[in-house]
Amino acid sequence: MSPLELATVAKAMEGLGTADQVRGNRIKVTLQPGKIKEALAKAMNDLACDHVVQISALDNGKAFELIYHLTGDHRTVVALAIEIPRDKPETPTVSDVLPPAGIYERQIHDLLGIVFVGHPDLRRIILNEDWPKDEFPLRKDWKPNPDTYYGGVRPEAK
Amino acid sequence: MPEVEVPIGPHHPALKEPVSFKVIADGESIVRLELDVSYNHRGIEKAAEARDFVRVVPMLERVCGICSHSHTTVFVKGIEEAMKLTIPPRAQYIRTIVAELERMHSHLLWLGVAAHEIGFNTLFMWTWRDREAVQDMLEEMTGNRVNYGTNEVGGVRRDLTPDVIQAALKRLPTLEDRIAKYANMVNREETMLLRFKGVGKLTKDEALKYGTVGPTARASGVDYDIRKDDPYLAYAEVPWKVITDDHGDVYGRTLVRIGELQQSLNMVRYGLEHLPAGPIRTAPPRAAPKAEVLSRYEAPRGELVHFIRTNNTDKVERLDIRTPTLANWTSVAVSLVGQNLADIPVVVAAIDPCLSCTSRITIVNPKGRTTGEMTWDELRDHGIRFYRRKGGF
Repeated sequence: MSPLELATVAKAMEGLGTADQVRGNRIKVTLQPGKIKEALAKAMNDLACDHVVQISALDNGKAFELIYHLTGDHRTVVALAIEIPRDKPETPTVSDVLPPAGIYERQIHDLLGIVFVGHPDLRRIILNEDWPKDEFPLRKDWKPNPDTYYGGVRPEAK
Repeated sequence: MPEVEVPIGPHHPALKEPVSFKVIADGESIVRLELDVSYNHRGIEKAAEARDFVRVVPMLERVCGICSHSHTTVFVKGIEEAMKLTIPPRAQYIRTIVAELERMHSHLLWLGVAAHEIGFNTLFMWTWRDREAVQDMLEEMTGNRVNYGTNEVGGVRRDLTPDVIQAALKRLPTLEDRIAKYANMVNREETMLLRFKGVGKLTKDEALKYGTVGPTARASGVDYDIRKDDPYLAYAEVPWKVITDDHGDVYGRTLVRIGELQQSLNMVRYGLEHLPAGPIRTAPPRAAPKAEVLSRYEAPRGELVHFIRTNNTDKVERLDIRTPTLANWTSVAVSLVGQNLADIPVVVAAIDPCLSCTSRITIVNPKGRTTGEMTWDELRDHGIRFYRRKGGF
């Protein structure tokens, strides 16, 4: 299959977000809030993107960003980018339509504290089970607290 | 017979990812699998945000002890893309040669581990002896056997002298013979056919649906290889082809890896013979402009991805690493369902999950009536006995 054209992606994502060619075979779509499910369905059905490369997650200080990198037979990477507000870090899960996304969502939930609504099994996967419940180490404002116990061997009492 | 829970793992300091598997089994057949990789999280992604580009590369080299070159190459490649640097062709060739040697030692290691899991220790000894030759070549070229320390932003740190090239070219014919021997052996050797064929089956549709990568995907007929799909380093110039297979089982994964061994050897030979002249590095700027790069790389185990965001400073704002083992996990959970408990070692080993020496297994009855302990070695012996009985030996 030939690589995807920017115009094709822009047409499929009309009304959902703006497409932009970052470089050869990389197209980034910046989505409007709450459109990830619709955009993903469009990408899977109209653009033949059936493989999720990675869900990149980051904290830019003002909001959380999730970037779903998808590819398919055409070998063009289509990136769907959404922003999630810091005070309400919730977004619908995509693991029901895209099974491999499930394990990446668990990882992001663990490290950044983003809740994927509808995920069947959001248990710990990366951090140890005795890690404090509401601390998320990849958030930019996170600092280890010397008085908190982060799991592992307890330091000997002086 | 009631279902039992079989926890496998987790700890071994030599592994990149100490993984704990919880296997729910009904008698000999597997019902479900669960995974926990939390045992050795080292916070490398967070630590990378605090180090500049010079100091972060040696740290990323230590993400994995087997694909150490993969992690640095994918990272420096991403930073160079963000800085819009052009890397001298000689440096690209040296990176490619080291990358393919790394693939060879990793695949030879895998073949040995898979052979060990099925009780074929002669092959294990043979492949590991041949792997030694590959590691000697790596040591001669880079100065190190494991963490080569050859990459830096802007190029490579050590040039290949004519002596080193000649010495490496001299070792290749013997290795080629050995690989041809394994390629011949896998089609005829009774033990391998019995234990690999039809085990851990994954159809092409399933491989696509569950997002498998690397040799696991290619053994199911999916020609997904980043070296071809998104060419980097010197892969666009070096002649090679993607190896695929339609068996979809452990046997197919073995064939793919042996085929890739042959391809890698030819690429190394081509690279050494056609090494372009010129400098091996360019001086990079200290800081990278604001950019966002998805850097992809075909590691020995499959597609490795580093997502990098830079921010006009000499540090990354965010580094997000997705390893091939995580991508392949979903498919293992699927391909093991309905299989025999005796096949766990070889199916789990078949994705090459950096898990080969997982240490301990406990068998627990969920109602708490019986508890028994089983080490990985005992499970392995159980597998070998099971197939001896089945084969009537």
